[in-house]
Amino acid sequence: MSAKYEHLYVVIEHEDGKPVPVSLEMLGEARRLMNGFNKKYSANEKVVALVLGNNMRRLCEELIFYGADAVIYVDSPEFQYSRNLVDTKVISQVATNRELAKKFSDASNFIKPRYMFFAADNIGRQLSSTVLADLESGLASDINKLVIEDLEIKHEHKTKGQAVKYEKTLEMYRPDFSGFLWTTILCLDNRNPAIEREYHPQACSIIPGVFLPIERDTSRRGVITDYIPKFDERDLRVKVLDRKIVKSAVDFDSCKAIVSFGRGIKDSSEQNIKMVADLAQALEAEVGVSLPISKKPFAVSEGVSSTYMIPDRVIGTSGRKVAPLLYIAAGISGAMQHIAGMKESGFVVAINPDENSPIKDECDIFIKGRMEDVIPLLLEELRKQKPAIEVKK
Amino acid sequence: MSDLKIAVIVKLEPDFSEGNVSYNADGTLNRAETKSILGPHSAVASSAAFYAKVKYGARIAVTTMGPPIADTALQQAQLLCDADELHLYSDRMFAGADTLATAEVLKTGISKVEGGKMDIVFSGHRASDGETGQTGPQTAWKLGFTFLGNVIDYNVDMQNRVVRARRMISLQGFYDVIEEVEAPLPVFIAIDPSYKASFNTVSQRLAFEKYQKEAKERAQNYKQYLKIFNAQQLGVDPKLVGLPGSPTIVYKVERIPKAKASRKAEVVDGSSRDQIAKVAAKMYEVLGGMVIK
Repeated sequence: MSAKYEHLYVVIEHEDGKPVPVSLEMLGEARRLMNGFNKKYSANEKVVALVLGNNMRRLCEELIFYGADAVIYVDSPEFQYSRNLVDTKVISQVATNRELAKKFSDASNFIKPRYMFFAADNIGRQLSSTVLADLESGLASDINKLVIEDLEIKHEHKTKGQAVKYEKTLEMYRPDFSGFLWTTILCLDNRNPAIEREYHPQACSIIPGVFLPIERDTSRRGVITDYIPKFDERDLRVKVLDRKIVKSAVDFDSCKAIVSFGRGIKDSSEQNIKMVADLAQALEAEVGVSLPISKKPFAVSEGVSSTYMIPDRVIGTSGRKVAPLLYIAAGISGAMQHIAGMKESGFVVAINPDENSPIKDECDIFIKGRMEDVIPLLLEELRKQKPAIEVKK
Repeated sequence: MSDLKIAVIVKLEPDFSEGNVSYNADGTLNRAETKSILGPHSAVASSAAFYAKVKYGARIAVTTMGPPIADTALQQAQLLCDADELHLYSDRMFAGADTLATAEVLKTGISKVEGGKMDIVFSGHRASDGETGQTGPQTAWKLGFTFLGNVIDYNVDMQNRVVRARRMISLQGFYDVIEEVEAPLPVFIAIDPSYKASFNTVSQRLAFEKYQKEAKERAQNYKQYLKIFNAQQLGVDPKLVGLPGSPTIVYKVERIPKAKASRKAEVVDGSSRDQIAKVAAKMYEVLGGMVIK
């Protein structure tokens, strides 16, 4: 018999019909989770990709190759660009539509999805918020680990202090801003009789670049279902007048070396940042920062702050993923979030006074010392040994 | 033409600036030792509201949900935007709220300002401590306002009651996009951290100075502008706020386990010139610059 809450719906983002990488990453993780779910609980529940777009049937086929069992495809010229208002309306319609769910499952009791994934990027973060406000359920943001488990919960409000078993609960792991703590968020029905209420879907937004897509398999088969959206003029009241592609001033992709700094600059922040910039210049490197630096925790001159302590330079899960030939981490302790952004680098040198900091396990050379002592020496040596042939760009 | 009616949602947050922030030995935030201030994103939202006051004329209400001490965030915001009213939604019943339950309180509160006839509600991009960025859009949705996120600048066509805004969107694996959108009032704007107000005409600069002076005077006597609402005064449904109204709970908090070492580091003494010289040579080798000497 079908349940009220079924399936894992994944909201796909794309640019002109090409999936944004996190979309395939979400599908990969959804596939792995539901493979386990199908084995353990029920084979009837599916990974369902949800696409809003215009002339994008080919993308729908791709999504099946990448792990979806079913695709709900909503085609309209209004979906050329993502707009929060109309997208939210339509996604909510789709997520609560039993007839659609019947196209790929029994769904005779279907009310809403059991689980729902969005991308934790500029579009998905906001879209997930408004969709879950509309569906009146819980949402965890910036997730990098997921587990489905039966849990026994004792909670003052949720269960009135009684031990209650919650089946098929999605454990959503979220690293905090420091990168050192992991918070597990659950979205749970209120089983306390005084405030009884069901909260589904259990939803989250997923950090780009964390999960692996599954290997593209063109033999995979699935159901593509079309949906004709219902919206009126009021839902279309936001007009996109113009759209310009801009390149970030910070170019991490074509440089061979990156010098990053973190909170280790603290003792003399202005001078240390300038020193890092000098080192970067000597190596024709770009300058990166760890996440805490983009919060401008140190008082420095406006010029230095607006050039270096900016979100554009953040390397890690909250910023960019880089893979230069040479990566130098100066005064960076090595929180997981930062490591995720630089671990593909060719050769890693860390400068840090603390041999116990996690960065030591992620580098090839660990220079033990304070950056204000090490970098001047290193700069001197680099200048002395400057090769006859310039470092090729 | 009547003034714009504006609300700003702000938050009291840990002060992450050096000297004020305190970390535990394990790298986590020491909340007991860290001061609280108006969050930096809330400050940007306040500045964006002030821009409307200077440029178009506006009545501004700054609002927050929090403990009584959160009135300091309202005071700091008033200094930035010359707010006409400060609203604090404070009740033990609100404690422990997740974003949906917080949005319920904020929506109810904002519906009370100016009889709910708001033109623009501003919020920051996200809080520095929670960092979900969900409360703004969820409040917007509950209010039934058009939500515009990542707004880097905006103007209002007062004649037609329309907002034009530019938004900055990063598309992973592709590029960044600056999108120009238009929407009729009312709107909810989550302002991007990069937002900077600029005033171009003499009359704007004069208005800027006038209101800035007024803001200073008001902020010194901010309690005159402050109204505190508890759950009953707001008239919220107790089942929709605080812990009972929160679909999500924090199940556990743990230290992120140290990943297996992915590289084996050679440890070098940072004070040894010889060793640093070798590191420098290795760097050039890696970069492929030592092919011919």
